[in-house]
Amino acid sequence: MTTTAPQGTLRQRSVAGSKKPKDGASSDVELDKLVKAANKAPKAVSERDHKAAFTLITILAFVTRFWGISHPNEVVFDEVHFGKFASYYLEKTYFFDVHPPFGKLLFAFVGWLVGFDGHFHFENIGDSYIANKVPYVAFRSLPALLGALTVSVVYLIMWESGYSLPACILAAGLVLLDNAHIGQTRLILLDATLVFAMACSLLCYIKFYKLRHEPFSRKWWKWLILTGFALSCDISTKYVGLFAFITIGSAVVIDLWELLDIKRPGGALTLPQFGKHFAARAFGLIILPFLFYLFWFQVHFTILTRSGPGDDFMTPEFQETLSDNIMLSNAITIDYYDTISIKHKETKAYLHSHPERYPLRYDDGRVSSQGQQVTGYPFNDTNNYWQILPAGADDKQLDRHIKNHDLIRLRHIVTNTILLSHDVASPYFPTNQEFTTVSLADAYGDRAADTLFEVRIEHGKPNQEWKTISGHFKLIHNPSKVAMWTHTKPLPEWGFKQQEINGNKQIAPSSNVWLVEDISSLPADHPRRAKKEKKVKTLPFLRKWFELQRSMFWHNNQLTASHPYASLPYSWPFLLRGVSFWTQNDTRQQIYFLGNPIGWWIASSVLAIFAGIILADQFSLRRGMDALDHRSRSRLYNSTGFFFLAWATHYFPFYVMGRQLFLHHYLPAHLASALVTGALVEFIFSQDAVEHEVAYQAAKAGKKSQTPKHHLTARERFAGQSLFGSWVATGVILTLVAAGWYFFLPLTYGYPGLTVEQVVRRKWLGYDLHFAK
Amino acid sequence: MAAANDRAPVVSGADLGDARRRNVPGTPQTVAVTETPQPDDKKKVKKGPSPLEILDQWEWLIAPILFTALAFFTRLYKIGLSNIVTWDEAHFGKFGSHYLKREFYFDVHPPAGKLLVGLSGYLAGYNGSFEFKSGETYPPELNYTFMRQFNAFWGAICVPLAYWTAKELKLRRNAVWLVTLMVLCENSYTTISRFILLDSMLLFGTVATTLCWAKFHGQRKNSFEPEWFFWLFMTGLSIGFVTSVKLVGLFVTALVGLYTIEDLWNKFGDTKMPISTLAAHVGTRVVGLIILPFLVYLLSFAIHFAVLTNSGPGDAQMSSLFQANLRGTEVGRNSPLEVAFGSKVTIKNMGYGGGLLHSHVQTYPEGSGQQQVTCYHHKDANNDWFFYPNRRDADYDAAAEPRFIGDGQTIRLLHSQTGRNLHSHQIGAPITKADWEVSSYGNITVGDEKDHWKIEVVSDAASRDRSKIRTLTTAFRLKHEVLGCYLRAGNVNLPQWGFKQIEVTCTKENKPRDTYTHWNIESHINEKLPPGDPGQYRSPFFKDFVHLNVAMMTSNNALVPDPDKQDDLASQWWQWPILHVGLRMCGWDDKIVKYFLLGNPLVYWGSTAGLGVFGLLVGWYILRWQRGYRELSQFDIDQIHYAGIYPVIGWFLHYLPFVVMARVTYVHHYYPALYFAILTFGFLTDWFTRNQKKVVQYGIYALLDATVIGLYIYFIPICWGMTGPNRQYSYMKWFDTWRMSDA
Repeated sequence: MTTTAPQGTLRQRSVAGSKKPKDGASSDVELDKLVKAANKAPKAVSERDHKAAFTLITILAFVTRFWGISHPNEVVFDEVHFGKFASYYLEKTYFFDVHPPFGKLLFAFVGWLVGFDGHFHFENIGDSYIANKVPYVAFRSLPALLGALTVSVVYLIMWESGYSLPACILAAGLVLLDNAHIGQTRLILLDATLVFAMACSLLCYIKFYKLRHEPFSRKWWKWLILTGFALSCDISTKYVGLFAFITIGSAVVIDLWELLDIKRPGGALTLPQFGKHFAARAFGLIILPFLFYLFWFQVHFTILTRSGPGDDFMTPEFQETLSDNIMLSNAITIDYYDTISIKHKETKAYLHSHPERYPLRYDDGRVSSQGQQVTGYPFNDTNNYWQILPAGADDKQLDRHIKNHDLIRLRHIVTNTILLSHDVASPYFPTNQEFTTVSLADAYGDRAADTLFEVRIEHGKPNQEWKTISGHFKLIHNPSKVAMWTHTKPLPEWGFKQQEINGNKQIAPSSNVWLVEDISSLPADHPRRAKKEKKVKTLPFLRKWFELQRSMFWHNNQLTASHPYASLPYSWPFLLRGVSFWTQNDTRQQIYFLGNPIGWWIASSVLAIFAGIILADQFSLRRGMDALDHRSRSRLYNSTGFFFLAWATHYFPFYVMGRQLFLHHYLPAHLASALVTGALVEFIFSQDAVEHEVAYQAAKAGKKSQTPKHHLTARERFAGQSLFGSWVATGVILTLVAAGWYFFLPLTYGYPGLTVEQVVRRKWLGYDLHFAK
Repeated sequence: MAAANDRAPVVSGADLGDARRRNVPGTPQTVAVTETPQPDDKKKVKKGPSPLEILDQWEWLIAPILFTALAFFTRLYKIGLSNIVTWDEAHFGKFGSHYLKREFYFDVHPPAGKLLVGLSGYLAGYNGSFEFKSGETYPPELNYTFMRQFNAFWGAICVPLAYWTAKELKLRRNAVWLVTLMVLCENSYTTISRFILLDSMLLFGTVATTLCWAKFHGQRKNSFEPEWFFWLFMTGLSIGFVTSVKLVGLFVTALVGLYTIEDLWNKFGDTKMPISTLAAHVGTRVVGLIILPFLVYLLSFAIHFAVLTNSGPGDAQMSSLFQANLRGTEVGRNSPLEVAFGSKVTIKNMGYGGGLLHSHVQTYPEGSGQQQVTCYHHKDANNDWFFYPNRRDADYDAAAEPRFIGDGQTIRLLHSQTGRNLHSHQIGAPITKADWEVSSYGNITVGDEKDHWKIEVVSDAASRDRSKIRTLTTAFRLKHEVLGCYLRAGNVNLPQWGFKQIEVTCTKENKPRDTYTHWNIESHINEKLPPGDPGQYRSPFFKDFVHLNVAMMTSNNALVPDPDKQDDLASQWWQWPILHVGLRMCGWDDKIVKYFLLGNPLVYWGSTAGLGVFGLLVGWYILRWQRGYRELSQFDIDQIHYAGIYPVIGWFLHYLPFVVMARVTYVHHYYPALYFAILTFGFLTDWFTRNQKKVVQYGIYALLDATVIGLYIYFIPICWGMTGPNRQYSYMKWFDTWRMSDA
């Protein structure tokens, strides 16, 4: 396009690309000389430093995550959900959740390892684990383990990306000493898995990218597939894992774009070669993760073979694949002259009638038919019994099954009247028809047509038999084509606050669905009740998966109700508010989920500084001023830019999400911000030697290098220059962060209890802590 | 004029080619340029002009005139045929009536378009007395034909504007004609322009802005010349106009904004340009494209307020002070100035779009199950409350001297219709769960301390004396004595069970500056107190302006689809580009003249397909570029950039918001986007035919033109009105979802 300025053209092309620790190998010769000249220390020293620091940080991570993990010995916050799901897996009962199964399967696996049988269902926050004999420490060890390893992975990311020792320590330290990461990973929650998988995907991709000069080698494939696997674990834990796909995906697209470049430094690729690159990435980063993702669902379905609390979310066909299912075992085919009770699926009210009549005139002045009331009543009662009569003559012919679309009459047993609907407005809805009953004489006389109803089975086939429980149906009034419907607004006193039943002109809504709960005329030992040993039906996996997937997305979008501790994305980087997880009145202990404010504020301001630097650089480039040397810019855009991209893709999408959001959704983004912080502190506090640039320019001028391609380690990059500035900055920041971490520890670990004064001192931004009075 | 001229001084990318092109020896660069057919070339060859050549020479004049004439014919023909209020005429006609009667009303759209409707009514000699009920017959004295003609004018003008836009975007003549024809022969544009609606003006504004933008872009090498200024300010004016008609105009504004950013970024990169020139570029654009449109927008509201000086149905959306200054209002008229126990008052929330504190017999379906308390904009008796002393205090004695109420006093509020006390308790509010629920509870004797509210005066516009609460001028907060929370109505709508009224809660946060916790007394009745005139204070224009705008935004957001109320006229975003559905604009009775809102299939399908083809085209060239092919000249690149990419961006800007938007959407929301799709289609046809033989070119264009016209005529009855039984029009019903016929 016409828009690129002349002076920016070349440079931008070289920087806007994906992470390239160095732009071509040409400068290596000069650098090697420099390294040799400047660095007289033994080669291994720097790596040894890294190993020592890495070990130390890993140990600290395990200490901080596992310290006092058995406290509190009660159910905390969302352990209610995820503990429960683990129990369901162990009991093999079918449940429904909006999150994919992987993270929950891991918990179930832990429970299985320690021999927990899933008897405890984590019903309420504050339920005792001790009294209920739950191996909760084992459960919590899993997230704590993953949380501790996350810190190590952060260190490795920085190390692999070639950052100096202080930068690595700083980035890992920010996560190590973060109260939010600690707090969220010490409890039975999914986020530890999520954050760990996200960090691993970054690490694996960096490893993979560093091998780009040996494409299709064994190692190259290994890291590609591991990246895909990490991504898959991420998205199979929670759907926000999709953001990691966007991060990696953007990097891959940029990488592919450069592979396509005809003037590529390593020589142009032919189109078939390029196609191979493309296909390999598509396979490793899309197809493979998707297969893994499906695999977890297969495991999910394989384990959950018994019917359970999740049945109601699924279609009857699906439910018939579960054993011990009430639907499957108790469904009886309904015959004419059976006496049944009919239940509304949504409100659980029974179709009911009693001798009282509709009042002549309603409050709003409309008149009724003054017929017998037909209402919805939530409790068992003989007034809920209705007998099914055929549409034709009352011939008393037994043993005839009722089929889909059959016309029937319903006789109210107690009052011996027949259900009817007619063109009279219902008590509450002028648009809907009134339901009432009439005497047998009328029902077979003048009003014969108005007493006919059609049984329309949901998703039914023609001639399908109508069954109890499983046969969800709509009752359509035959002449007027309105559907029997009820809602929760109770009738006034004259209707005993029972539910109004009326005829809904809109037939489609699912609120019109009813089911036959039981055939009360059948004695308990009647042969028709005999359960035939039917074997559990099966459905193809993909069909089950597709149904569940749709249901999950639908319910995920329904999670819009407000929660007292829900927060909006804008508040997260500033850490304006936390979440109260658990409180104990007698000991004044509480767990208040909150990040380390100092760490978060530093990380967030560094993000702003980074954005500022990039903008300033772009603006000055645009004006033909080049303030940065080639190497710094490349590092700034490609490596630090990649971390920043990870932050942005894990943060901004939340703004368009409609569901309720919590502070813990920021954790992956916070991890990325810690990476940016480490990288940028190194950028700011280390002076890159000018010689590098001279060498680079010389190399660019035409000297072709024969040096084999390899990556610069931090030691090489910083050969001959002082890291003093970085060390000081790291020291100062980590000291502050450690102080903040220590100060908020009691809120993270849940002990010791704090006095009023101590609580008030911790209400920094008006954090709504408990026990402040 | 000639394309070749454009090559040399291409913005600032002049030498950009060097770096990119050096590796591609022998790539022909000038193919397109040299072969660009120049309509004007011929005249230089021959001497004596033949009649055909004269036509050719005068095409720039003849064609627009011809197209305009056709546009007026198609938009005006039999426009008065249907004498009933059709579709949203019910709304916009009614708003026009309000202007004529000068009654204050409230609507979600800015006023310019409706002011013009009002003007058309005024010109038609209409007195504003008709109610514009949907489907009603117009009274004989109402010249609705003129009002419709006035609207059709805007729709018709779009056609020549489209012609000039296409021309300015450097499409060749055939493509210009095609674009113009696609706008002219667009059934949906025709239909929507023939009624008293805002859409023809919106369309006009969008098309005009695009034209001005293209013209301005065409002047880019004549910076700071008079013509350059002219088009800059015209762009600003049309942006102001279109935004003042409907806020959808912001999307075309965004298009111009993106262009300006890119333009300035290029200029910023031009190091040869003096800083002062650069600053002048930025400054003129700020004035022309931000300040000017905003002034136009302000002006439309200023006229709005100036015209509507009588009290009307929209009063309650505005602040009490504003209402007090309307003629014929109850607010502030003869109300006693100071409030005492026993005063019957209505209490107004002072936040933007705040309503009156309201309660009704319906109860909360969840929570406490007690009587609902809401905020409501409609004025009725359920908004009346009595000030009563608290339970510790001496009882209210109707016979005694009135006791005035001041800052810091603890009072009760008694709902006059149901006799219940304003009450709050430790039960979460239905929507804003973090706040406490507010209900009406007990009665004059039954109740507890949770009925007690403490008055905290925030400010008083009339006096510094805080010992008394004054009607209209005192802003106060109500603090719940027991819970320490503040009464708040934060523009959150309750579900259907609360009749979509505003939720009232008791918020635990003490934020003195939160205006949603500020209340004032609006109407005040107390027979024992002397009447005063508290309404002598005026609210400043700017405050009213902001207030009304915020109210518009909040109630626009409230238009979320309601699953309880299935609207079969509504449609979804994915249905529009594929012309999946149409819209019945009136009843479908045999006696009614029926209008069906449906587009020209070729225009819709063609333009939608064009968007996809354009994506492929750009992808193709970008990939080829990365692989070292340099097949496009700078002129070609510019052409794709400005005549292709910008219209596509325009399409996205006008389309995507409706995809994300959670409100009820209708087919006509797609019309501005369609215009950009048509431009893209024109560009593509131009692009793909550029190197074809003349015969092939003319063949393709003739085929496209003929099909567009043919389909237009085929479907014309849905625009001009279908009389008689709808079954006789079943020939147009290509799909079941095109419900122009029941057959």
